[in-house]
Amino acid sequence: MASPILQVKDLQTQFRTHDGIVRAVDGVTFDLYPGESLGIVGESGSGKSMTALSLLRLVPDPGKVVGGRVLFRNQDLLQVTDEEIREIRGRDIAMIFQDPQSSLNPVLQTGFQIAEAMLAHKMASKTQARQRTIELLKRVRIPAAESRVKDFPHQLSGGMRQRAMIAMGLANAPSVLIADEPTTALDVTVQAQILELLGDLNQELGTAIIMITHNMGVVAGLCTRVLVMYAGKIVEQGPVDEIFDRPQHPYTWSLLKSIPRVDALRHERLRSIEGIAPDLLRPPAGCRFHPRCPFRIEKCFTDEPELKEIKPNQFASCWVTMDRARAEMGADQLLDIRPGAASGLEPGKLVD
Amino acid sequence: MAATAAAVVTRPIAPEQASLWSDAWRRLRRNRLALAGVVYLTFLVVVALVALIHTPYPTYEVGVGIPYQGPGGQHWLGVDALGRDTLSRLMAGAQISLIVGVGTQIVVLAIGVPIGLAAGYFRGWFDQVVTFIINLFYGIPDLLVALILVFLLGPNLTNIIIAIAVTRWMDMARLVRGQTLSLREREFIEAARASGAKPSKILFGHILPNALGPIIIQATFGVPAAILFEAFLSFLGLGVPPPTPTWGSMAAEGIVTIRIAPAMVIAPSIALSLTLMAFNFLGDGLRDALDPRQRR
Repeated sequence: MASPILQVKDLQTQFRTHDGIVRAVDGVTFDLYPGESLGIVGESGSGKSMTALSLLRLVPDPGKVVGGRVLFRNQDLLQVTDEEIREIRGRDIAMIFQDPQSSLNPVLQTGFQIAEAMLAHKMASKTQARQRTIELLKRVRIPAAESRVKDFPHQLSGGMRQRAMIAMGLANAPSVLIADEPTTALDVTVQAQILELLGDLNQELGTAIIMITHNMGVVAGLCTRVLVMYAGKIVEQGPVDEIFDRPQHPYTWSLLKSIPRVDALRHERLRSIEGIAPDLLRPPAGCRFHPRCPFRIEKCFTDEPELKEIKPNQFASCWVTMDRARAEMGADQLLDIRPGAASGLEPGKLVD
Repeated sequence: MAATAAAVVTRPIAPEQASLWSDAWRRLRRNRLALAGVVYLTFLVVVALVALIHTPYPTYEVGVGIPYQGPGGQHWLGVDALGRDTLSRLMAGAQISLIVGVGTQIVVLAIGVPIGLAAGYFRGWFDQVVTFIINLFYGIPDLLVALILVFLLGPNLTNIIIAIAVTRWMDMARLVRGQTLSLREREFIEAARASGAKPSKILFGHILPNALGPIIIQATFGVPAAILFEAFLSFLGLGVPPPTPTWGSMAAEGIVTIRIAPAMVIAPSIALSLTLMAFNFLGDGLRDALDPRQRR
């Protein structure tokens, strides 16, 4: 395999609040290879967006990246000057955001905003930028691109706005495109179109994509590799097929179990993960998922598991792992997914 | 930097304004009072311009009529104590009022907008210093500040504009700071930052165009306030020195003889009142027309 284009090592992002320190990103490590599309999944507050913002040093106040390294082209993005990181933003690493409605400046023409992304990095002259803007709009399949350039954001539909955002992200042909929930604000058919577009662009232009989402379906459709985050940490990572077929972390397993299925039995209830995401001010001792885990064992309450290779290229941080849970606790037949249900360590039966 | 930033701003906004302004103009026209204000102010500007080249009688010439003469055929608005034609002086006074009103707001914009933008965007110690200075200026009576400045700098038109602006810039700075504070948290600012935009670009290219509506409204209301303040200073004898005709000094000259020649006070007072009303109606109309919640 080629050498990674982006290496993230032990990334730590914290928020200092009145009540204490929130470790929003707690030791995240991963590599991104040229041209691949990597999914980062997790529920709200798992630190996936903060990981993305940390890469470009865009963490909002009072957050701060306090440790780790982000290596891109032999430089540590956390160490370079403000001027240098500004040059990298949008030119080498571009980012698109969740809500295309609010990510475009309402009082500026859409085409102008795309051209501006090029002019900011002096990648083109004004005339070239104008021309390339139309090409980009065609590339992201906006019909009648020539006349749409002059439209204001409110004159475009949601899908078209997100296409325009993608065009803006691609303006300088970046080597990495970070997409932070780019389809969440769109309806399902438009979602599919946007994902298809991102997939095509990934193939054609060789732009590496980091796809941040809470939607497993999005990951399945676009990504080749997945990171699963929970409470600021990566709990599982591996190739998308492996993760979907044989997840090793109970959290990943639960996430997959909670996807509504078209072929579900009529009376089958929609499953959700019991409990709520942990309070990052006071994260649980031991494994951070243990308060919600059906397969927890005593060790999970006290000792924190490390991310280790379970199968080639598939890593998980779990004392039990789903292979064992399947073999010993009958995970595949499990109907009751309350905490500790499979291992007999339910809240009521716990002895302190 | 200010010059280049301004150059950057004007171009991008131009096409945008075509749409925003035509929209606002459409709503403004439906407002009768605002429209009346626009008509009156246009008339006033024309009068002030005409006064540059022609007035019925020379503005400074004494004895063109009988002193204290009331309105009549030769002198429509009468003659003052020195025998000068009131209408001619009123027309010339319109120049002073408009220059003071608009000039003050230009200075206020030049001070308030950059300070407000920087304080709202960078926050931290700079914002604290700015907020402190703003509160300081609010604390000192504006008349006192203006009087001291006029005394120190000397009473002429430019210095009076500066003196009034110094007592009026805080509202603008505070407004722009507030707008910036809320706009900087919007996602499109984050998106602009993520695409590598420089702070100057974000401030003048993204935040300022979005705050333009409230700024214009504030400036429109600022004009009559400045005109009134100048008239007040002139009335006290601290404005533009005689013999330059200003509405305030004309009223002051007439007040002692109000019983025998009321026109000397009434004419400039009505001109002043109409002008203040016109600007306020226009400001109200603009507020409705530029209010994003009323987009129709």
